Amino acid sequence: MSKISRRDFLKLTSALSGALALSKLPSNLSLLKSGESPSRPNILIFVFDAMSAKNLSLYGYKRNTTPNFERFAKRATVYNAHYSAGSFTPPGTASLLTGLYPWTHRAINDAGLIARNLIDRNIFRLVGDQYHRLAFSQNLWPNYFFAQFQKDIDEILPAGSFSQVDYVFGEKFNKDLLTTQRAFDDFLFSQGSPPKSLVFSLIERISLHRTLAHTNQGGYPNGLPTLNNYPIYFRLPDVFDGLMSTIENLKPASLAYLHLWPPHDPYNPSKQFYRTFDDGWSPIEKPVHPLGDHWSPKSMYNFRRAYDEYIASLDYEFGRLLDFLESKGVFETSYVVITSDHGEILERGERGHVSPLLYEEGIQVPLMISSPGQKSRQDIYSPTISVDIAPTLAHLAGNTIPDWREGELLPLLGGQELSERSIFTLYALRDSAFEKLTKISIAMRKGDHKMIFYRGYYPDGDKFELYDLPNDPEELNDLYSNNSSIAKALQEELLAKLEAVNAPYKS
Amino acid sequence: MAIFNRLPNLKQIAPVYAICVIVIYSWTIVWFFWTVPAWLFYLNIWEILLIYAYLVATNFLESLLVICAPIGLSFILPSRWFRDTFVARGTSLVVLGLGYFMFLADQFQNRDDYPSILLKLWSVALASGLILLLVFIVGKTSFIKKAVEFIAEQATVFLFISIPISLISLVVVLPRLI
Repeated sequence: MSKISRRDFLKLTSALSGALALSKLPSNLSLLKSGESPSRPNILIFVFDAMSAKNLSLYGYKRNTTPNFERFAKRATVYNAHYSAGSFTPPGTASLLTGLYPWTHRAINDAGLIARNLIDRNIFRLVGDQYHRLAFSQNLWPNYFFAQFQKDIDEILPAGSFSQVDYVFGEKFNKDLLTTQRAFDDFLFSQGSPPKSLVFSLIERISLHRTLAHTNQGGYPNGLPTLNNYPIYFRLPDVFDGLMSTIENLKPASLAYLHLWPPHDPYNPSKQFYRTFDDGWSPIEKPVHPLGDHWSPKSMYNFRRAYDEYIASLDYEFGRLLDFLESKGVFETSYVVITSDHGEILERGERGHVSPLLYEEGIQVPLMISSPGQKSRQDIYSPTISVDIAPTLAHLAGNTIPDWREGELLPLLGGQELSERSIFTLYALRDSAFEKLTKISIAMRKGDHKMIFYRGYYPDGDKFELYDLPNDPEELNDLYSNNSSIAKALQEELLAKLEAVNAPYKS
Repeated sequence: MAIFNRLPNLKQIAPVYAICVIVIYSWTIVWFFWTVPAWLFYLNIWEILLIYAYLVATNFLESLLVICAPIGLSFILPSRWFRDTFVARGTSLVVLGLGYFMFLADQFQNRDDYPSILLKLWSVALASGLILLLVFIVGKTSFIKKAVEFIAEQATVFLFISIPISLISLVVVLPRLI
């Protein structure tokens, strides 16, 4: 008998493990119509807006906010150092959807758009038209991206689906979604200022006012959950019931991107969880940041309490969804992805996420992926970032990994742990999408260290902060002024990167 | 036909419509110019012009809706009450009515904080009664009547700009929707 070489042995074991994985795919799949056989796994992506990993008991938070997410984690790969590439919805979501950093896709402003020459780079195209591709977002800003990707998406559910009150108007004009959303919902019927037209906008506003006055808001002591910038009001159970019904009706094989507003501000927990965390607890006190909003400690306590209660409300409903997915056998046939587009800062006098402060609370987000048939938890501790998700989905769908990708395949899903790679989160709200980035903050994570860079915020020029995360997870001890070789190397790398990404643009 | 005799003629309607156009289009365009600097951060000029086409088309429909109010009154009321002084009374009705709309609109600084008293039926009825009283007074007071008619006549020049722009906007918008 001839001797087997090491290379042959590796080939054989990888072939065997592939065969074993395929054998785990069950033959009778509830998401499939009878008689059809599974050729590709379904992919369900749940995005919970503004969900900081730092406030989830799943990731070691003191309050028990997420028992059901922990239950999900028992059958998933849990990424323990996952970051969003943007610190608020447009850059964060666009990076997730495109696999590109914000300095490339350029959706860097409130209600911003992806660079028009890059709209072919999206997860819907990456998984291919052999998938039924469905997109739903309660947050309207991702809907702008769906409108840009319209030719790659088979079904876009309106943002107000499953809602009690829906006064979103633009998305009713499916043929010109991008402009009608902008003209009607983002301008004529926008909510943050007086109506922009004297007849229709005023009628819409009065009608909304009267509808709200007659809407049952019971069960939510702070008021019905709502978007802070568009007139959609909903009950969490209705939204989750709607999602279950949607999932049940999916055709095989499907990619469903489901982006929910909670736990985004305003924090409106259900009665069941209202004031359940009024326990007097506050995390370690951190110095107020000069670029923060300078909220008082009492306000910060109340924000955190309400945010945690809203997460717990969400988790409760997620538990129902989990039961549903289990009962329907969805986990046997599908990749189920749980993540967020950005975090939420509730420290240093700052509240929210549209902020140049790129501390862990604001940018570290959950990422858990349950593979078909997965029965046990696996943990990854090396840093990963939202731009890794798109190429990983292409790989999971059995397609070519794009050469234009800016992320890597996620560990255990085709990729390896790359603990020394550099990953970036960008905040450039005040910059033009068409010009060089000049007023920005960037967080760069490399290995154990994290550098935060501010340009355009301080009168005396650029400012850097450096933290050793394993030894200083609360980012309290700024090592930058120690003049270490690490600080110098990271600074050089970060500035070189910024210069490179700015090169194609005019000042 | 007798029924059409109760309606004002085109020469009477045009000045009143011009006032509608000025007020309705101006309100929106002021907000539009307020918003454009932010849009320039992430929208190109063609995308902004396309949005503007939607806004103009909306304003055009609104102006047609609003002009129906004085025409409707002219149809309902005896000629000497409204049609015979259509330019003065129609203009004052449009200005006062849209002024009241502006006042209501200005109270909506945000969606959750609105003085509900302004939406009560008696409140709206009171405001409407006051407006109709003022409209009646305008038609009765010769000096004010002449001044209003003069201003409205001068305003018709804006129709030479607004109507072509509105029609172009409709030509741009309708094929994108249908």
